Order: sequence, then C-alpha cells, then structure tokens
Amino acid sequence: MATTSIARHLDVGGRTVALDPEGYLVDLDDWTPAVAEALAAEEGRTLTAEHWEILDLLREFYRRYEMAPAMRPLVKAAGQQLGPEKGRSLHLMRLFPESPAKVAARLAGLPKPTNCL
Amino acid sequence: MLLHLLNRSPAGSRLPEDVLRAMGPDDRLLLIESGVYGAVSPQADCFKTLKGRCYALQDDLSARGLAERHADWIIPVDMAGFVALTAETQRTVSWY
Amino acid sequence: MSDDTADRPLLVILRHAPHDGSWLREGLDVALVAAAFGRTVTLLFMGDGVEALRPGQTAGPLGQKGTHPTLDMLAMYDIEDLRVDAISLAERGLSTAELQWSATPVTAEQLPAVIASAAPVFNF
Repeated sequence: MATTSIARHLDVGGRTVALDPEGYLVDLDDWTPAVAEALAAEEGRTLTAEHWEILDLLREFYRRYEMAPAMRPLVKAAGQQLGPEKGRSLHLMRLFPESPAKVAARLAGLPKPTNCL
Repeated sequence: MLLHLLNRSPAGSRLPEDVLRAMGPDDRLLLIESGVYGAVSPQADCFKTLKGRCYALQDDLSARGLAERHADWIIPVDMAGFVALTAETQRTVSWY
Repeated sequence: MSDDTADRPLLVILRHAPHDGSWLREGLDVALVAAAFGRTVTLLFMGDGVEALRPGQTAGPLGQKGTHPTLDMLAMYDIEDLRVDAISLAERGLSTAELQWSATPVTAEQLPAVIASAAPVFNF
C-alpha cells in the first residue's frame, strides 16, 4: 500500500511530486512518463524501449489486479506478453538491477509490492 | 491425526458444522475460549458424534462458570492435557 | 507436530465473505506470499468464504476494493488449485458451474483428507 508519509519531493519539469521514504509516489495519480524518467535519472538510469515495455506491463497488471506483482508473477506476465526470452528473471535483473519487482514498480508509479521481500 | 481447536460457541454460528465436516474420523476437537459454551447441554449435542475425542479446556470452563456443568462425555483438560494433546497429534488446525 | 511439510501443499482455508472485514484479504495475502516464494498452495473456500467465488462482484459502496481482482490474479502466482466445500456452496444456492473462478468441489467425505494432507494449514 502507498504510504502517506512524505519524505521528500522530486522536481519534474517544474511540477513537484511527493515521494515516500522508500521513493514510491505518495499519490499514485501523480505519475506521468516524465515522472518515471526523472525517478530513473536520479538512479543514473536511462529508460529504453525495453524498460518501457516492462513499465507498461506493470501498469496494466496493476490496473487489472489492483496490486503490484512480486517477482514470480512479474516474470510470468513478461513471458506471457513479451515472449519467453523476456519472461526470465535474468532479463528483468539486467533492466532493473537488484530487485526488479520493487525498482520497476517504483518507476511505474505503483505501490511497493507487498508480497515480496 | 489432527487436533482441531474451536474458540466460538455453537449458538449463533455455523462454524461447528464446518469443523465437524472438516474433521477426520480420528481427529480430536478441543473447545477453548468461548468454544467451551459448546461443552454444555444442549449446545453440546452437536458434538455428540465426537464422544471420546471431544475435549474442553478446564480454565476456560471455570472462568465461565461451567466447571461442573459440561456434558459428562466431554473430557476436561488442563494446560498439561492441552500440551499432551498437541504432542499426540500431527498438527493443530484453529477455527475461529 | 513433527511431520515433513516440504512436499505437501500449503492450505489456506477461506471462510469469510468479501467485504466482511479483512479476513478474506488476509487469507489471500498469506497464499500470495507463500506462492511468491515458490510454495505449492491450495485454497479451500468454505462457509461464507464460498461467496468469494460468486460472479458479478464490484468494489464497495465507498469504493472499498473488492477481492475479485485478487482472485483473477491467482493464476499469475501459479495458484491453480482452488477447492470449494460442496455443502457450503449448496447451502448458499450456488453451483460450481456458475462460479466466476473454476474450483473443484469437495464432498463431505473428501474434506478431512484435503485438510489432513496439507501442511501447514492456515484458517481465515
């Protein structure tokens, strides 16, 4: 669940977006593609088409199921929608190192996945 | 063999029927907390098929004024008896 | 209490209806966490829990989230083994054919074995 405590703000093209202590959006409605770019830029990442297909997939997952997926269902969803070579944790680890389910959910403007470590 | 724990009274709840249906032929039932109201007649009647394997926690009976009032075929157990029951059974399933 | 649980399915018994406090949601959360870590999970809908399978559910009157999107999501977590207590279903005038999610009916005779063969068992 999104937390309501504001830890800091992110400036996105003159607009101020509130972030919680873990860097997730406080108000999920604040999300725009530019917010994702700004969050990624903070981490020294540039979003490529491959990143975007995962972020789009995540936003669709959340729209349908009202929950951010843990790693296993994220891998499964990627495999179903993007093909078997992208439905692998290695692919996701390469795009969103360390903790793909969490990092990608954050960039996609979703709450933190509750069902993973 | 499983030990089922039930902590609600039979009156006003369908839970006992569900528990009875879920129990295997050797499983035991221990009534705890408000569940011990089910140890007293006529509520106890719904557990009659469990004669010999239906228990009620002594402290919970006493606390509710039921120490001497439970049906004679319901077996009261103290905490040591509770522990012994859990040791005899493979697992415990709680119903609430 | 000592038996080998590694190759048994983890069983979550769901006995509360949608929009009735957080029992159903919490039960589903336990199932999702276990599945996310690779455990084989069986869900058993019993009592009012069978209402979770009824078609046509929506969010609550104040916009409270329902559990139906989570039921839709179970397959993504590889939770495919849904069982439903046949008597509970009949008591509520429901049949497996009309349920929104396919669930295997469990007869009164089969029920004890479903519970005894799983470990651990979580009851919500």
